[in-house]
Amino acid sequence: MKKMTNAIEKIQITIGVIFLCVFFGIIVLQIVTRHLGISVVWTEEAANYSFIWAVFMGAAVMVNRREHFNFDFLVQKLKGKKRAYLSIFNDAILFIFNICIFLLGVQVVSEFWNYTWSSIPQMKMGYVWLVIPVMAATMLIYTTSHFVEHIRIIKAKEVHE
Amino acid sequence: NTNEVDAGEDGKIKIIAAHNQTSPDNPYQTGLLKFKEVVEEESGGKMEVEVHAGTFGTEESELVEKLQLGAADVILASPGFMTQTGIREVDLFSAPYLFNSYEHWLAAVDGKVGQEMAQIINEKSDNSFKLLGYWSAGVRHYYGKKPIESVEDLRGVSLRTQTSGVISDFWKATGAIPSGISWGELYQGLQQDVVDSSENAYPFFVQQAHHTTSNGKYITETAHDYTTRFLLTNGEKFDNYTKEQQEIILQAAEASVVAEREATMEQDEEYKEKAIEDGAEVNEIDRQPFIDIATPILNDFAKEIEVEGLLQQIRSLED
Amino acid sequence: MGIMLLAIFLVLMIIGVPIAFVIGIVALLGISGIPYTPEATVAMKMVNGLDSFVLLAVPLFILAANLMNSGKISEKLIELALAIVGPIRGGLAHANVLVSMMFAGVSGAAQADTAGVGKVLIPSMLRKGYDKETAVGVTAASSTVGVVIPPSIPMIIFAGLTNASIGALFLGGIIPGILIGVGMMVLIYFIALKRNYPKDAKVEMKVFFKLLLEAIPALLTPVIIIGGIITGFFTATEAAAVASLYTIVICMFYYKTLKFKDFPKILFDTLALSSLSLFALAAASALGELMSYYQLGAMAQEFFANNIGAEWLFILIIIVFFLFIGTFMDAIPAMILFVPVILPTALELGIDPVHLGLIVVITLAIGLITPPYGLCLLLAAKIGNMSTERSFVAVIPYIAIVLVVLLFIAFFPDIAFYIPKMINPSLF
Ligand code: NA
Ligand code: NA
Repeated sequence: MKKMTNAIEKIQITIGVIFLCVFFGIIVLQIVTRHLGISVVWTEEAANYSFIWAVFMGAAVMVNRREHFNFDFLVQKLKGKKRAYLSIFNDAILFIFNICIFLLGVQVVSEFWNYTWSSIPQMKMGYVWLVIPVMAATMLIYTTSHFVEHIRIIKAKEVHE
Repeated sequence: NTNEVDAGEDGKIKIIAAHNQTSPDNPYQTGLLKFKEVVEEESGGKMEVEVHAGTFGTEESELVEKLQLGAADVILASPGFMTQTGIREVDLFSAPYLFNSYEHWLAAVDGKVGQEMAQIINEKSDNSFKLLGYWSAGVRHYYGKKPIESVEDLRGVSLRTQTSGVISDFWKATGAIPSGISWGELYQGLQQDVVDSSENAYPFFVQQAHHTTSNGKYITETAHDYTTRFLLTNGEKFDNYTKEQQEIILQAAEASVVAEREATMEQDEEYKEKAIEDGAEVNEIDRQPFIDIATPILNDFAKEIEVEGLLQQIRSLED
Repeated sequence: MGIMLLAIFLVLMIIGVPIAFVIGIVALLGISGIPYTPEATVAMKMVNGLDSFVLLAVPLFILAANLMNSGKISEKLIELALAIVGPIRGGLAHANVLVSMMFAGVSGAAQADTAGVGKVLIPSMLRKGYDKETAVGVTAASSTVGVVIPPSIPMIIFAGLTNASIGALFLGGIIPGILIGVGMMVLIYFIALKRNYPKDAKVEMKVFFKLLLEAIPALLTPVIIIGGIITGFFTATEAAAVASLYTIVICMFYYKTLKFKDFPKILFDTLALSSLSLFALAAASALGELMSYYQLGAMAQEFFANNIGAEWLFILIIIVFFLFIGTFMDAIPAMILFVPVILPTALELGIDPVHLGLIVVITLAIGLITPPYGLCLLLAAKIGNMSTERSFVAVIPYIAIVLVVLLFIAFFPDIAFYIPKMINPSLF
């Protein structure tokens, strides 16, 4: 499990960073072309969509690293098994939410798949909407691996008792 | 299924109607309020309409998406955004110099052309969209840092315009440089020399105070676009209403068309006066050279999106 | 319904579900509670919420700040600041504030300042005998000027939401930012006298000029950014890219402190930091959608019209409200959710959007150093190895200074507007 999530995380980071570089480059291109008097109409749209992909990929990675900000005073107060149980409960909530977002994301992708970009009609909006199920699916994988981890902790505690 | 007719707790049918303009005195608001009035009156209160003015997304693309999902029931969309749903034919209505007068536009949309387009929209969207009526968003003109006396004056002028293909092709052919700045950043863009000019209808750019900026104070009445807006509902949802409810909606839509067009006409005049009062300068121009530039572009475009028949019909309505 | 959602919000928050997800879950529950809206709206809205060109400034300004830290520009600025204010009693603390002000001119994000400056200055302050409270407190509190002195991410977002002039907002932030910095330095001076903090020896003129010369390319950044925006060479969003590009160029070719192998880490850090607040923003957009179904903006307008007619009272309420919201939420989602709600009332009362923007942004800047969720406070506490509670006690005196400046700007806006009006009167 650990190995797989690490591999997925690595791929996801790479994708996120590439999209970050892409929209950075596109904005620079937009400034340059405007001052050269060349009009490149797709820059804003392409930059926006790369940005969206970058953010959601980054957000999923942050789930794996548990960096999304939360209030941990209750978690800190609890010890041992109780703490693991609370963590499992919280993971379960994230799990259910992500399942919902995944299914809704799939619905949105199928509804809007054939919509096109306004500046490049050959490009489908489906490629953009796809980010939601991809993000939700990876968040699900990461949350599952946290789940497994917490269960291992509880099992270990039970052996000690 | 999201396209079922959901009655609320009180047994009322709720219709969510939305447009993307935040100003309460916008013609869209007038039109949708009329729609609301007729629906609620004719149904004796059994149907309720909730009008959202811009609070539901200021982007038209979002309204169209909501209509398809079933999160909104009646919305307003421009041809450019309808095109993005994969229905390329509608883009004909965003082509510059397609209509040469308001009467020409009326003859087209209220006649056979309008019916044919409505059918295309319904079929191509698999009944996701059903057209309820043609609204207007006024007549679009050029405004910029200097007045246009002839086509040559546009050479090298950067112009903020829609990024959709045929429009940018036309402006490029005039010598202008189409520039993609978001509507929200445009006021500052005009003020700070990011772009030299823009184009829109009086009510829209005067409400945003573009005519008070250094790069927006000279208005040349190019009248390159007698605009069309589609009043749409979700077709699948519409089919689930009773015959009687359908009648009420269609009747209300008809009333809204009348009210909205009237409000737009009035505001076009009103905001033109306001612009002049605020110190903007308006000049007229011989439009024939522009039309000559547009004609071949329109021909190619109609061929590309396979609506040559419609273009012929529209041209035959010319007076 | 509303009360139940609020209760769920609080419970999920307390049991430790990440706040961005709490926002998303409440949005999903709320929307599924409305019979005529499909739940898919939530997924749709998360994407649409990010589909705005101005938001691209967020990661790009964070990138610029991370580049400055990696390229050791922060350290050069620290050396220069030390040469200027080091000889005053409590010199290191003064330098801490001054360098934050310089850093603010490049970065639109405050967290990067805390991280970059704190890593260097907190240890050296402790070494020189400053107590932990001062080291952590000054570092955290002074970073708040990062979002007040232009460029500023929250200001860009606010301008995007309200159509207020970004140029006017940026210029309007200069005086309040300087006032906050100077106010903190005055406070530090008295603390330093009382606790007998050390002062540095005067540096020789020759050394000083060498340091200044070294720092000039970095110090030029704000001039380029603000100048470029005001003259229309690029938009505020594009300015963020220019800032990053400029920093890359000077670090790689002038200072030679940045190598290609440094980039993967810089880019990842940027992605990580920005995706956290932007994901919260995406979720907040979904919640905002729920709020617009309930037509909260119109309700707020009606409430204020019927109950509160006075402008000053409205401003006070806004300040208190955003102070509260800022304790547990990032500035960006807080603005996305609530600026549209208060804007109609503000306009009706005749409050200039630029004025409103300054108030909201400075108020939310305080949220950066208030627990439980104050990013700069948490970062500084972590670097100084001090508990959040103790760190918060340490920043309280400095919060008082920011509050004084805030009230000053809120009720005497002409002070802040002096610079924008002087440079470009047409902005108003
Ligand atoms: Na700043
Ligand atoms: Na806070």
